[in-house]
Amino acid sequence: MAPVEVRPKPVLRSKYCKGCGRCIDACAQGLIERGTDIHPASGLVPIALHPEACNGCGLCVDACPEPYGLVSASLAAELDASEDRRRFPHPRLPAEEVPAARAALPEGRPLVVKGTHAAAIGALLAGCRHFFGYPITPSTEGAELMAKLLPSLGGVFLQAPSEVATVNMMYGCGGAGRPVMTFTSSPGFSLMLEGISYMIGAEVPGVFVDVMRAGPGLGNIGPEQADLKLACRGLGHGNTHAVVLAPATPQEMLDFTMLAFELSFRYRNPVVLLADGHLGEMTGKVTLPAELVRPGEPAWAVSGDAAHRRNLIASILLKETDQEAHNLGLLEKYARMAEGEQRAELFRCEDAEVLVVACTTPARMAKGAVRALRDVGIAAGLFRPQTVWPFPIRSLLPLLGRARRVVVVEASGGQLEDELRLALSHAGASTGVEIQHVRRMGGVLPSQGEIVEAIRGKRSSRKVVAA
Amino acid sequence: MSTFYERFERHDHAAGLKAQSTHYCPGCGHGLAHKYLARAIEELGVQDRTIAISPVGCSVFLYYYLDVGNTQAAHGRAPAVALGHKFANPDSVVVSYQGDGDLASIGLTEIMHAAQLGVPITVIFVNNAVYGMTGGQLAPTTLMGQKTTTSPLGRDRTMGQPLRMAELIAQLDGPVYVERVALFDAKQRVRAAKAIKKALRLQVENKGFSLVEVLSECPTHLHLTPLEAQRWVKESMLPVFPLGVKKDATPTDWGTWQKADFDPDALLEAVGARAPPVPRFCSGFPHGLFGGDIGLKLAGAGGDGAQTAAMLIARAAINEGFDATHIPSYGPESRGGTSYADVRLAQDEVFSPDVPTPHVLVAFNAPSLAKFGLAVAPGGVVVYDSSVVREPPAFDASVRAIGVPCSEIAAELGERKVKNTVALGALQCATGLFPDETFLAAIRQALQGKSKLVAVNEEAFRRGMRAAEGCGADDGWFGWWI
Ligand code: SF4
Ligand code: SF4
Ligand code: SF4
Repeated sequence: MAPVEVRPKPVLRSKYCKGCGRCIDACAQGLIERGTDIHPASGLVPIALHPEACNGCGLCVDACPEPYGLVSASLAAELDASEDRRRFPHPRLPAEEVPAARAALPEGRPLVVKGTHAAAIGALLAGCRHFFGYPITPSTEGAELMAKLLPSLGGVFLQAPSEVATVNMMYGCGGAGRPVMTFTSSPGFSLMLEGISYMIGAEVPGVFVDVMRAGPGLGNIGPEQADLKLACRGLGHGNTHAVVLAPATPQEMLDFTMLAFELSFRYRNPVVLLADGHLGEMTGKVTLPAELVRPGEPAWAVSGDAAHRRNLIASILLKETDQEAHNLGLLEKYARMAEGEQRAELFRCEDAEVLVVACTTPARMAKGAVRALRDVGIAAGLFRPQTVWPFPIRSLLPLLGRARRVVVVEASGGQLEDELRLALSHAGASTGVEIQHVRRMGGVLPSQGEIVEAIRGKRSSRKVVAA
Repeated sequence: MSTFYERFERHDHAAGLKAQSTHYCPGCGHGLAHKYLARAIEELGVQDRTIAISPVGCSVFLYYYLDVGNTQAAHGRAPAVALGHKFANPDSVVVSYQGDGDLASIGLTEIMHAAQLGVPITVIFVNNAVYGMTGGQLAPTTLMGQKTTTSPLGRDRTMGQPLRMAELIAQLDGPVYVERVALFDAKQRVRAAKAIKKALRLQVENKGFSLVEVLSECPTHLHLTPLEAQRWVKESMLPVFPLGVKKDATPTDWGTWQKADFDPDALLEAVGARAPPVPRFCSGFPHGLFGGDIGLKLAGAGGDGAQTAAMLIARAAINEGFDATHIPSYGPESRGGTSYADVRLAQDEVFSPDVPTPHVLVAFNAPSLAKFGLAVAPGGVVVYDSSVVREPPAFDASVRAIGVPCSEIAAELGERKVKNTVALGALQCATGLFPDETFLAAIRQALQGKSKLVAVNEEAFRRGMRAAEGCGADDGWFGWWI
């Protein structure tokens, strides 16, 4: 007769037993029965185990849904041995932060490329080797260039089934600590907002290049600045913000995309780069930087190795006070962004009596208008936000002492003006500020001529009052 | 120690019993699915490499328990998040854990496409035929006749019929392994544990996408005891959701994963910035021509080459160290519609890049000439294709209009499409914008790697120049277009 194998008997840790009875059903020997007494700690009625005749088959353990309810003898022993050790996560030091490194880029010749391509090249220079996206005019050429270039650089290009899937792939990839990006355009950006809210909530970096087109709804594929409000005020549900960069030239499409990656990791937050349809398709001269970036590996990344096993990417905090504390932390981060990331170009603003405020392509028409106005003796200047959020109010305020009026030139129904007014209001400088505007929409950009006309036709003597 | 955290710190800071107790209702099947997953991870020795994606639903807190890398995803998006992780770290073992509302309703796009993509990830799909976390509503897998809070009289045809996800996914090409298992008795539980381990192993071995659908008990919303719920799954769910292997493809290797390359030279090469600068021929910006910046509009139908010619002008200017922009615009037709290009040239910086009143208009057809002809700035130049525009409109007296038979010359050269280069030559003759060599160098640069085309385009350029002088000669060139 073969020796009977003596298998260790299971152990019931009764305070963790929920009394569901699944183990009762599992024991062919009928050694488990319903309990009768309420457990003082759990308030539930654990089962009663009669292990005397138990053969240690373990079927009851396999039937117990509680990890630490009915357990094997070996697990019970381990648990007993470590009962009073607080081992969460397992006693392991946090991963080390591997910072991004820079490497010299040999001098090449200037590129002559369109805005979307410049942004794609900027992403590659910033160390981005992961692209997820869904085709949408007029952003698609950026994605197409990534599809062409990434394989030769050992990168990943994946066309997602939708913008919703795109942003969630970015969430996973960014959560793994990789520089990740997408190109999209207004309707696609709308679809991504849910995911952007999750990225902000979970503090996941990622770069969104939104080549804005006319809306609302399907609108058309002409250039508009239709998403300023979304990017500055509406990044999904919750208390969200992200640095919103507003390039105006193909060169800035490259430079700001590189900057976007840097900021995205510095703040562990998505960064939005807003171009418009014209800027996306506009070809211009682009000079490459002196260095490229080799990405590091953040300590917080969920990257599938021992050092990072303790990490969690999540935006859910069930306990209200935890969630509030998290929000306060985010607000503090937004305050740091607002303090540290205001950027603007000032063109002939020193003595300007008419301050033209404009961003992306309309800012170039506005710049032309400023030069034309100067030619006819009007002291105009261009104030061009390069970050729309945070609005570069710090460099605007000193100009308001001299300026007689502010003219907001935009390709939207007042979305840039709203940002300006909010910024002025928060700075306590709104009272008495005279703000006029030149607006076009629907795929039409304000032309240099109409800006000049508008400004020449709308003289005002009211003084802009700065606090 | 198991793959579960020893203390569930994330579970309400491990207060009291929560340190070692799940948030699941008594008898809930999720705990079992967690357990088999945890065991598979342990047995395959991949705890450090594993990344679990928690869904939305009752199992949203998977990350409370499983001691692996954790990411919590939005409702339905776990497969997309899983793919993001997998592409970020191909060595990681990524598990997308999802319930029926998550996977079969709101996340249908994500799961179907992830499955068809076939990338090695593992999906654990817990189907309990009802929405748990939101309080017992109709699920895409709710049975016909089953009462839920949103089908109070029982599911009927007006609410659609239950989706069989394992079968749906098994008929795709992407997955290597799909099985439906259950938890209602010891035999099923052994199978479930085995299936989960196999699904994980296929990923560890880089074979491909696998999915295990686990028929599970939600005693709470079935309003049954756990043991009654087990019976219900067996008796009511099985006829609709038959158990078994739905797909088990002979798994070949999914493929090799690329390794990111950050070599500066490789990057320069890829973006085409390696070549030496093109030589300069200009002594200065042609300020005298139109009194400052220069705006050009090139207009025609798709295929006329307006954009290519516009790019060539911009490139020529940039080669000379000036600034230039080019904005294309197209009609709504994806082929053959209108095609307009705005080009602006400036010594240092182009301000307004649009060209509403061009100094130079190149029109390839009559509608384009009609549309923009009258917008040409006083003192400007119009070049049009006189092969197709028979009756040019009357221009401002200060505008010089030059008709050149671009299409005919191109046809003579053997390739209709070089008519844009002919037009460029005519433009050059009329304006002397840059030295001829500037354009010829830009043509050669644009045709890098297509040296056969260089000659015919150079000739087209010269023919255009001569034609604009009224001295075009037929010397029978043949060739191609840019
Ligand atoms: S180990 Fe087997 S015999 Fe012993 S109590 Fe559990 S099921 Fe019964
Ligand atoms: S299966 Fe586990 S939780 Fe349920 S009664 Fe048995 S020991 Fe208790
Ligand atoms: S509601 Fe249902 S699925 Fe959710 S924990 Fe309870 S039993 Fe499990």
